[in-house]
Amino acid sequence: MTTHDRLDMTAGLPWCVAAWLLGVGLYGVATSRNYVHLVACLTVVQSATYVVLLCVGYRWGAGPPIFYAHPPGTPAVDPVVQALVLTDIVVGATVSALLLAMCVQLHKRKGTLDPERLRPMRQ
Amino acid sequence: MPRLRMVLFWCGVLLLIAPIAAVVCDMPRFGDHPLPYGDAINHDAPRDRHVSNTVSAVNFDYRGFDTLGEEFMLVCAVTGAVVLLRGSRGESVTAEPGTLPGRGLPGRSDAAVLISRLMGPFTLLFGFYVVLHATVTPGGGFQGGVVIASGLLLLFMGEGYRGWRRIMRTPWLDVCEGGGALLFALAGLAPMLTGSAFLQNILPYGKFRDMLSGGLMQIENAGVACAVMAGFSLVLLEFLEETREPEHDDT
Repeated sequence: MTTHDRLDMTAGLPWCVAAWLLGVGLYGVATSRNYVHLVACLTVVQSATYVVLLCVGYRWGAGPPIFYAHPPGTPAVDPVVQALVLTDIVVGATVSALLLAMCVQLHKRKGTLDPERLRPMRQ
Repeated sequence: MPRLRMVLFWCGVLLLIAPIAAVVCDMPRFGDHPLPYGDAINHDAPRDRHVSNTVSAVNFDYRGFDTLGEEFMLVCAVTGAVVLLRGSRGESVTAEPGTLPGRGLPGRSDAAVLISRLMGPFTLLFGFYVVLHATVTPGGGFQGGVVIASGLLLLFMGEGYRGWRRIMRTPWLDVCEGGGALLFALAGLAPMLTGSAFLQNILPYGKFRDMLSGGLMQIENAGVACAVMAGFSLVLLEFLEETREPEHDDT
């Protein structure tokens, strides 16, 4: 298989994977009957953005953007999107922790995590 | 209700399919399109900043202002989680593990203790290695901070709740968390005292491929490492504390 064939076959695949992750995550959010499950679905939706960003910065035959083992000037992938994904993952993890903390408090106060069985908060 | 929700969901999917298909068809060819910004930074960072890890150069230098924002998002999220969890339990801590009524506390197995004691220090050491080599090899404060926090979790599994609480002092972590973000902000403000721009890299860049290369990036990296390590440890600590029954003085 030549490089050109490989390019043609995989041209749209990464974007389809990202769209699929987005769709699956949103399906999970819409059908969720438990807030912990819902937080997990949100992280799936978020991972679609990682796939898009990393694939935008990818380049066939290029190495990592670290010029320690190979000298500067060797072809490398885009470091800008990698830096974005890096900070995004760490901040996303703490935001998930914040949402899960809300779930803990909700379960303490209402005894359930099912959105269907919750009523509006009252004083 | 659930049926109506699914109808709404599928309507939304049908509406979104056409735009998403159009976007997928219009996206640049995967792996085979110009990367002007990435190439510019890959070209400039080793030459101008003496840094071999250009991802760190983007995070701490070229897009340092953006990382400052991310840093404060992290602090906000951790603060929110801590306020929500600690608020219901009170400030005082007792070094007693939580128990559920009617359920005993089984001891930890020797295998778990052994593996955790073997792996914990190595994980901590590796975390510090990753933090210190931010500008040279793949690494940096974000990754290293998370690795250090996982090493601390291994300490919990090896030493148990009481031992862990003796090691992990919450005030230290609070200081580390806020102090890390403050250090990053100060690293941005300090160049302004010399008449330079915010976050301008005024320190000597050091030698290419050297652990201390990068100038101001080293300080920002240390701040990020402190904040991420303490933030993740605080969140872990608060979730573990949730298993403890509130004491009478905890209100």
